[in-house]
Amino acid sequence: MDKMHLNRRGFLVSTTVAAGGMALAFTPARAAKALPAQSNSWGPDTAQGNELTAWLEIAADGIITMRVPNPESGNGTMTQMAMNVAEELECDWAHMRIEVASLNRDYREDHVYTKGFLPFFSGHATDKVRMAWCLQLGASARERLKSAAAARWAVPVADVSAHDSMLTHGPSGRKLRFGEVAADAAKITLPAEPVPKPSAQWRLIGKQSLSKINNSQIADGSAVYGIDVQVPGMVHAALMQVPVMGGKLKSLDKAAAMKMPGVRAVVVIDPAKTRKSPMRDKTSFGLADSQAQHGVAVIADHFWQAKTALDALQVEWDLGAGASVKSGEDVYAAMRARRDGAPGRSLRKVGDAALATGSRVVEAEYGTPWGDNAVMEPLGGTALVTADSLEVWASAQDTVQAYWVAVDEIGMDPAKVKLHGTFVGGNFGRRTQAEDVRMVVAIAREYPGVPVKVIWSREEMFRQGRYRTPVQTRYKAVLDDATGLPQAVTGHATFSGDRQMFHLTPGYSDSPYFNGGAIPHVSLQQSNVPVHVLNGAYRGPCFNSHAFITETFIDECAHAAGSDPLEYRLKLLAPWDSNWSDCLRVVAKAAGWGQKLTRGEGLGIAITAWPAARKGMGSVCAAVARVSVSAAGVLNVKQVDLAFDCGRVANADAVAQMVEGGTIFGLNMTLNEEMTLKDGAMVEGNYDEYPMQRMADMPVIKVHYDALSGGDRFEMMGEVTVGPVGPAVGNAIFAATGKRLRSTPFRKHDLSWT
Amino acid sequence: MSAISFKVNGKTQRVEADPSTPLLWVLRDHLGLTGTKYGCGIAQCGACTVHLNGEAIRSCQVPLDGLAGAEVVTIEGLSRAGGAKLQALWAELNVPQCGYCQAGMLMSAADLLKKTPKPSDADIDGAMANICRCGTYPRVKAAIKRAAGVAA
Repeated sequence: MDKMHLNRRGFLVSTTVAAGGMALAFTPARAAKALPAQSNSWGPDTAQGNELTAWLEIAADGIITMRVPNPESGNGTMTQMAMNVAEELECDWAHMRIEVASLNRDYREDHVYTKGFLPFFSGHATDKVRMAWCLQLGASARERLKSAAAARWAVPVADVSAHDSMLTHGPSGRKLRFGEVAADAAKITLPAEPVPKPSAQWRLIGKQSLSKINNSQIADGSAVYGIDVQVPGMVHAALMQVPVMGGKLKSLDKAAAMKMPGVRAVVVIDPAKTRKSPMRDKTSFGLADSQAQHGVAVIADHFWQAKTALDALQVEWDLGAGASVKSGEDVYAAMRARRDGAPGRSLRKVGDAALATGSRVVEAEYGTPWGDNAVMEPLGGTALVTADSLEVWASAQDTVQAYWVAVDEIGMDPAKVKLHGTFVGGNFGRRTQAEDVRMVVAIAREYPGVPVKVIWSREEMFRQGRYRTPVQTRYKAVLDDATGLPQAVTGHATFSGDRQMFHLTPGYSDSPYFNGGAIPHVSLQQSNVPVHVLNGAYRGPCFNSHAFITETFIDECAHAAGSDPLEYRLKLLAPWDSNWSDCLRVVAKAAGWGQKLTRGEGLGIAITAWPAARKGMGSVCAAVARVSVSAAGVLNVKQVDLAFDCGRVANADAVAQMVEGGTIFGLNMTLNEEMTLKDGAMVEGNYDEYPMQRMADMPVIKVHYDALSGGDRFEMMGEVTVGPVGPAVGNAIFAATGKRLRSTPFRKHDLSWT
Repeated sequence: MSAISFKVNGKTQRVEADPSTPLLWVLRDHLGLTGTKYGCGIAQCGACTVHLNGEAIRSCQVPLDGLAGAEVVTIEGLSRAGGAKLQALWAELNVPQCGYCQAGMLMSAADLLKKTPKPSDADIDGAMANICRCGTYPRVKAAIKRAAGVAA
């Protein structure tokens, strides 16, 4: 078995050989300076050479390797972490490398990567704690390098300066490269921690839009995602979980599959085999939502053999109680019945709605369905189980969660468990709970001593999701006869799904329309209808539904009051933070709000905040959509303008990426996405049944920075943009056609008009 | 099992596997060329796009037994097959988000520019049917236009 225990060098050699010696084939001259080659995506489990700290190593050749617990899944978090360090380190950006930190090392070395540092999720790298941490890291390293140079030259450290990875003795002009004193610097302890420079002196953060640090490796195919990990001697597994969640295996006939080429084993995954962590886990949200499902897997020499044999497997399932749920419509009907049949839990109660007087009443019901995250990289991972160790390679959204899930499944001392986080081919919430890591470990445990790579098929991905939580909401407003603004608003939102963690209320109970003081009587409630289908995180969990629902409802109120939807919102938001109004005004002006349009053309507006609408925190984003709808009902979203306030931006282009991507995600969610249910099982299995926006469907997307309020906040921008886009499009469709869309996906509505 | 010889990125490879094995899995599991990605297996997403005898194809749909004597170029060989400029622009214009679909995007884009050196918007929309969940389409289009030297 010793051959299977690979050190890092062994892995590097094997990938180079496997890639046909082409690892160095592509180094674009232009990119090479700004975008250094990335040797690997995960960090070592033990201390390395010239480490200044577990987070930072500077090699003799000047290469700076930073190790962080938040993996890169597309939002640029690793690049931003490196930028934050580089701001203080005064290094050559071309020398920066970044790796996913080892959680095994974190465990054994007193939580060196997670103590005092918010580790959960891939997350943004610009929150106060993380940013301050990185700036201090960079400043301390710089001062230690300066001290090392001063000692080498026997000069006062005050005469030494650092710039571009070079140390200079001012009076004599002598120079040393960082790499030349890194070993000495690693041994230096500073008498006192340096104070990072004031933000006004920053030259990178907020000033430069550095491209993502692993772009070159993505562009030449060398970036290693979880699915790409190659461990010598590994075998491959294909997985089938019980088609109805909560069901069990009834019988399995392995015989035919075992005779197929390359097949080594057919194994059963049984949640009862989970051995439990020997100690309390250190996850942020616990392990309850990471439980295994019953399933079977075929292990073979190659994945195609495993998949082919899996398809030939004779399996009988005991589908359980979930199979009696005939359709999603039945579930949504039960949610509406629950909502309208009894009061829910009160989230907000101000005044007494019964006291409102007004002749105009706006009342409507709204709904959103299950949706799948549809990440491009399928779930999976590679695991090697021996009698006294577990090693896992996986795309993790939250490495801490993934590590403790692995520990929990194998039941070993965490010191004996290693988890290597790779680059991640998309999250959008799908990998938060790491139940895929649990399944990988559960499969590999049945075939010990050999590394087993497990890949979810796309069909398995779609039908075994942790879906967007469906929401069914009824809103009612009584409008003031004089002003047209609501005197009273009542709302009741019903969720479906047993995972309470994903019954979130941003965009609903925190709405400044209801909390700002403009509406004297407000009552908002929530309730839940249990169902066997597992709900989960999906980009801006639940917020993505509430945003659509609330912003559609407010638009209906504006029209009922005979008001312009922009002016109506500004009146409602007058008592609130001016940044909401600023976002609305900026985006409306940029998009040409108010211009006269012909029938079939429309502008719609909407605004939302994530993670919560609170004064002076979170990100606000407003959108205006411009659509045309043909008389036959063909929708064309022509343009989306967005203005936002996240305080300041650390990397304007990285923020633009999030706004563009969030806009497209929000569009797809609203226009296209719905998972349907038949006899307890999810129906859609692949992209031919779950349509996705493509190049030809793209509107013009315009990102406006003029509503930024400044200050010292760099709030996250990944989620907020999925909020306003859908309702802006829906409101634009109403403006164009007079048809009000109160449920998604829009593709299921008839938009024709005469 | 059958043994088939064909060229990948200019180098002759002899692969012994079930003749039904799709090129995608031949590349990934037999030749260790993991830059070509699995996304759907049914020619919908384009993450597995490679060049086969000079044409962009979905490698999940081409079985090994049709490959005798073929010439395949994958993302790992794209720079030597004339794609270095595109790849450099992908990095410079910060096209990728998670990056998982980008190998397929690049292979499709290189094929488009070979056939249509000055593509119109409609040409790009028609040729680039790859799925990206992160929403990089505007930047993919911008990078193609920059590479082609056509107005943004």
